[in-house]
Amino acid sequence: MIFMGKADFFPRKVYIDKKSFDLPLTQRILKNIGQIPTEIIPDREDFLEKRRISRDSVKFGKRDLFVTSQKGEFVKRCPCTPHTIGCNYFIINLDLNCPLDCTYCILQHYLSDPIITVHANLDELWRQLDIFLQKNKNRTPRIGTGELGDSLVIDHITENSKDLISYFRGKDNVLFELKTKTLNIKNILNTEPASNIIISWSLNSPRIAESEEEEAPSVEERIQAAQRVSDKGFRVGFHFDPLVLYPGCEDDYQEVIAHVLTNINPGRIAWISLGSLRFPPSLKSVIQERFPQTKIIYEEMIKGKDGKLRYFKPLRLEIYKKIVRLIKEKGGQTIPLYFCMESESIWRDVLDWIPKGEEDLEAYLSSSLGQ
Amino acid sequence: MKKEQFALKKISLEDERFRTSYHFSLEKLKLSIKEIGLLHPPLVTRRDNRFILVSGWKRVLACHELSLSSIPVYVIEEKDELQTFLIAFYENLAAREFGLLEKAEALSRLKRFGEDEVKIIRHYLPLLDIPQTLSHLDSYLAFSGFEPEVKRVAHEKSMTFPALKLLAEFEAEEQRILLPFLLPLGQNKRKEILEDLIEISRRNDISVKNLILSEKIQAIQDTDALTPLQKAEKIRLLLRKQRYPAFSSWKDSFDSLLKRMRWPEEVSVGPSPFFEDENFTVTFTFEDQEQFKSNLDKLEELSSKDEFVQIFKLR
Repeated sequence: MIFMGKADFFPRKVYIDKKSFDLPLTQRILKNIGQIPTEIIPDREDFLEKRRISRDSVKFGKRDLFVTSQKGEFVKRCPCTPHTIGCNYFIINLDLNCPLDCTYCILQHYLSDPIITVHANLDELWRQLDIFLQKNKNRTPRIGTGELGDSLVIDHITENSKDLISYFRGKDNVLFELKTKTLNIKNILNTEPASNIIISWSLNSPRIAESEEEEAPSVEERIQAAQRVSDKGFRVGFHFDPLVLYPGCEDDYQEVIAHVLTNINPGRIAWISLGSLRFPPSLKSVIQERFPQTKIIYEEMIKGKDGKLRYFKPLRLEIYKKIVRLIKEKGGQTIPLYFCMESESIWRDVLDWIPKGEEDLEAYLSSSLGQ
Repeated sequence: MKKEQFALKKISLEDERFRTSYHFSLEKLKLSIKEIGLLHPPLVTRRDNRFILVSGWKRVLACHELSLSSIPVYVIEEKDELQTFLIAFYENLAAREFGLLEKAEALSRLKRFGEDEVKIIRHYLPLLDIPQTLSHLDSYLAFSGFEPEVKRVAHEKSMTFPALKLLAEFEAEEQRILLPFLLPLGQNKRKEILEDLIEISRRNDISVKNLILSEKIQAIQDTDALTPLQKAEKIRLLLRKQRYPAFSSWKDSFDSLLKRMRWPEEVSVGPSPFFEDENFTVTFTFEDQEQFKSNLDKLEELSSKDEFVQIFKLR
């Protein structure tokens, strides 16, 4: 095994797009990878095409790093899913793919290039972000890097967190989030916090973390990392997503919630999101093929209005209600809670309110800013 | 390659190394040969002092059935197995469509004769109208490993790629036990049964064989009064309930409420798919104002029943 959660991930080999070789981030990466072999790639498309044919191209893609430039848009609106309340999130496509190999991960289905990719043309990123913030100057959008990869898993190689935090610090009309499952917080702990920067962790029950997030650190370690970051002065967030149902899961989630709220001041928690396991039907065969031992896809999932497989609604409602009740019971009454990819009726039945629109949700999620 | 007139008995039919086609009807071809003769000679090649058939199984079998003593053939001098097979492959590719199992046989031969896997994916899969993925190649190779009886039935019943892909997940013995359940059903329901069996088996850690041999399924199987279609349908519904217990229970509750209300058959009512939405749909047809009003009256009467209120708890 190349990567164990506690240790920093280092790729087997680093490929560098010839056109991106001279960029400062590329040079920083080369400095940080030490003796790891590198190869200059003259033709990016040909290189990627050749890597696509492999018995497990997904796994194969998690071993190496490719440094190139973003040709398209760095900033995109999170596509969410039809017939649900969107959380109005914006994604920064800086790093793509992830060395962690969670069984349920949508990236197995979503990304076409089988390699961890770093986009090194940061000047273009800052230019696009300036435009984005100017367009949204009267709003408080949320934006983050953790949708198409883990925000911090290769941060010891790229050190992008330092640049990103430095860019967003003081820009009060935006909430910037770094989302991770790792303990790679060295750069964060060496950086001054800012009220609009949120470092968040994806959490699950210990059983699911062990069986389905095999290469990620334990839940307890993640909470400890969050505690250190919170103690440093950063606001933190948590994503219980995907919640995975199995007999006895409520007790396990209860334990995790109690652990979080006992160790971290709820006032320092920017938000907690909830989402249950869901995926497009085509991901199911990928999971079956890559993780024949997993059983999570065989629980009672139906095809939702968006075409994705998700738990039968009464089962989702039951777990959401229990978790929200637990969060409130354990002192988290004021923590903003939201759902990822859920319908109005779920919001109303569980949280007793439905955001009236994007701005309403933005106002709710930024309500603890400045606390 | 030279053309020769050959005694039919000189061609060995036991060696099927280049064969990709099975399960065909010979009647029209026999008629054609009878009327105008064999216009396209089959291809043979010499291996170990025997002449084995490379291409033209249908033609040679038809000639056998017509008791012809000799036929024209092309003799291929090529000794390399892959190159010899490619002659047959391209000849067939130009002449006709390959069925799913023929594609499987062709790909399995290419692999067996040493063709490079990447070349198979990039070059041959598109020629056979198959997406260029390793996963597709693996599936087709699995189909080629089906037992002959399974292949025959799959061919005759025109089983689709998704159904065959699911069938390939089962052991040979399980496939044999399963076929009688599957055959009376349509393509979608076949796929549904296979999916449910696999998923219940994996979720509950029980072998598919034990699932199939469970008391409930055996009781259905042993009911003489049921037709094969009725048995297959009952087994399908039983597996659905096992696979989706909560949803089935909600659906049963809904149906039971309708029954208790004596909901009229001419007015259909249903929840949103899988109860995801909160709304319900009522539909009825009418021919005139009187019929329309009669249905509305019935609905109004139903709406005052206790059971009607309970329906809204099911969402």
